[in-house]
Amino acid sequence: MLEKITRREALKRIYGAIVATGAASFLSFEDLLAADATTDKRLNLIWLHGSSCSGCSCSFLDIEYVPVLDILSKFTNVIFHPDLSLATGDQVTGMLEHVMGSNLDFLLVVEGSIPVGMPHACLMGHKPFVEWAVPMAKRATACVAAGTCATFGGVTRMNGMQTGIQTLPELLVAQEIDKPLVCLPGCPMKPEHIVYTLLHYAMKGTLPPLDSQQRPLRFFGNTIHERCIYYADFQEKHYARHIGDSGCLINLGCQGVVTHNDCLINGHNNNTSSCIRAGHPCVGCASEHFPRQIMLHSHDDPRVNKRKF
Amino acid sequence: MKRVVIDPVTRIEGHLRVETQLEDGVVTDARCSGDMFRGIEKALIGYDARVAQQVTQRICGVCPYGHAEAAALALEQAMGLQPNENGQLLRNLIVGAYQLHDHLLHFYVLSALDFIDITAILNYRGNDAGLTTLRSWVKSELDSGKIFPAAPFLPRYEGAYAEDLELNISAIKGYLSALPIMADLHKMVAVFGAKAPHPVAIEAGGVTTLPTVDRLNQYKTWLNRAAHFIRNQYRNDLLGVAGAFPTYFNEGKGPGNFLSFPYFPDASGEQHALVGGATLGGKYQALDLSRITEDHAYSWYKDEPSSGIKPLQSTTLQPLNLAEYQREIARDGGKYSWSRAPRYGGEVMEVGPTARVINTYRSGTHADFNRQVDAVNRDLNIGLNEYDSVMGRHLSRLLCTLRILDRLETQVEQVQPDKSAFIERDMPKNARGFGITEATRGALGHWIETDEKGYIRNYELIVPTTWNMSPRDAAGKPGAVEQMLIGTQVADPAQPLELTRIVRSSDPCMACSVH
Repeated sequence: MLEKITRREALKRIYGAIVATGAASFLSFEDLLAADATTDKRLNLIWLHGSSCSGCSCSFLDIEYVPVLDILSKFTNVIFHPDLSLATGDQVTGMLEHVMGSNLDFLLVVEGSIPVGMPHACLMGHKPFVEWAVPMAKRATACVAAGTCATFGGVTRMNGMQTGIQTLPELLVAQEIDKPLVCLPGCPMKPEHIVYTLLHYAMKGTLPPLDSQQRPLRFFGNTIHERCIYYADFQEKHYARHIGDSGCLINLGCQGVVTHNDCLINGHNNNTSSCIRAGHPCVGCASEHFPRQIMLHSHDDPRVNKRKF
Repeated sequence: MKRVVIDPVTRIEGHLRVETQLEDGVVTDARCSGDMFRGIEKALIGYDARVAQQVTQRICGVCPYGHAEAAALALEQAMGLQPNENGQLLRNLIVGAYQLHDHLLHFYVLSALDFIDITAILNYRGNDAGLTTLRSWVKSELDSGKIFPAAPFLPRYEGAYAEDLELNISAIKGYLSALPIMADLHKMVAVFGAKAPHPVAIEAGGVTTLPTVDRLNQYKTWLNRAAHFIRNQYRNDLLGVAGAFPTYFNEGKGPGNFLSFPYFPDASGEQHALVGGATLGGKYQALDLSRITEDHAYSWYKDEPSSGIKPLQSTTLQPLNLAEYQREIARDGGKYSWSRAPRYGGEVMEVGPTARVINTYRSGTHADFNRQVDAVNRDLNIGLNEYDSVMGRHLSRLLCTLRILDRLETQVEQVQPDKSAFIERDMPKNARGFGITEATRGALGHWIETDEKGYIRNYELIVPTTWNMSPRDAAGKPGAVEQMLIGTQVADPAQPLELTRIVRSSDPCMACSVH
């Protein structure tokens, strides 16, 4: 009996954290108790690295609202993650091949883009990554594009790249794979974004409401600019001329007007900071334009066509 | 002759294939293949010189700070600019905190479970909340009859894991407690760098963030917590593993040559905490960057010449097309990696924490550091030669972590509150510069050349894992990790735990390696 009460207290604390993430609207405390009692509701997860840098995986481990151990043991069943799994070598390819031949329900997370022009530019188990991504996506119940590379291409699609990448949404269209898809751009993806998405899917069986680019409206419904601490300065035409000046950073190259994300509401690293709060123009890391040819410039840089406001 | 292939190697950064040949259970040949190519370095041509900082750190999400710093240093040299004291200090506070994060990540998340027995949790009898949760979860998983119970912690290579219950439980607890500490260390990066991974605020000219008193005190609060964890839990767990596996001070011996770059200066950009240099044949010598070249004789590129290429010598790096790649992998002695082969005066070099420790020690310039190393060596009954090993690399990480931690505690007090840490300069035209530093995994160099408008005319990166995970060079000399693997006795070729322990001891970052 004593342990049961302790357990309930522990769940209450977890639930407090869920309320803090804003996930309480779709997850009641009773749901949580039920999920805790039956492990069946846990979401099977397979996480793969395409043409990527592991930054989104590292970001994921920074989640603070819900302990990583609870994500691993209570809400999801992480069948494979390249940076966490003890399985290695043939054990990994064996597991993935088993999953492809099974009727297991699982959610596929793809971090990074998929080189198809040069398929040998990303290999796993001596096979081009695309030959893993396509059958896995066909088998998955839903797919998550983790980060800007998976969503828009990011640095793997900058000018001069020869690998001919496809993003996860492009791959699904090209391969005629009709699956629920959620895109979580950001370089890196924010941990709160994926944890919310996973909780939503685990608890409700659906993805959260999305915009036309499959991004959760909750996080990507507004531009950085619309929620900016300098929005009033922008309206008053009070512009920073140099780094360190107060005022709107648009003349220094800020990409906030064309970038959808919630950085000024939910800052990076548990709201420790954001690029703009750090005195740096937004580099637009969650946008389809990333990386731009110039990201930070002096106000009188002759190479830049100034916008007129 | 038996062929043992590990592909993919997990719990590292990126895409790595390791292929070995065994005779009587001993590795006689090894090939490490960097399996992902993006081509970021030459794609930078035509972008603004400041973009190098933002883009090169996207080469790696584990150690982005090193690229941000090296790119900023290279551009500052091209500008002829030295940051002010606050700029230098804030940059140090960002990169130092990131290194502590990285060392904890490598030990607990990536490599400790090669030694620590995760199933020991079933024998845990205490009442720690995290550990009891883990115990009941693992137990219910193993009882569940599922096809992959207790994933991602199982399956694993079976072998001789640590037997001491207390050590196993301590390190598992360390794993769970390290995660929030790592999140704190990332917050320390973010408070001045804007975010982690990928701190944007490091720029040529300093750091754009204003060091306000509240930011400085936030940083100190997190630093205190991390310091306590590092000096107690991490130190004890690492030394515990080292004590439980003494034979691993003799496993995974590399080329025996060590290269490191000067790292962690004081506020004026001088007096580095760890010195640069090269140890060749047991002798320390001062750093000479002009001795660095790269080969791609065994790498999937077609540019000629394919060896002895100096930084910025070429503006192209042409990857093989699919048919050419297929021809090479089918050919005996063909090209086998996307990684290139950097060499120092033609020699294979190991880079990383061990190189930092050995070069700093052998340079004889830091008596306090040498005393610390001597004390640890007495406790463990080892000498400097034993640092060239699997456990020596882990131990070196601890020594580097403690040294950087001391510097962070000193330097955070030196920052002048509310004074700008950034100096603005126009883009340098037709200029060249290089930036060298130590990333967590070792010696990192960026070279930049700008055109008449301040755009990038050429860019070159030579990255720590490019050194360690290099394939053979034109002379046929295997890379550093390949040499570490050769000669290793493997108890069970179906479960080559000895090999993954060696590979992970070098903390591979394959995305960096190829870039």
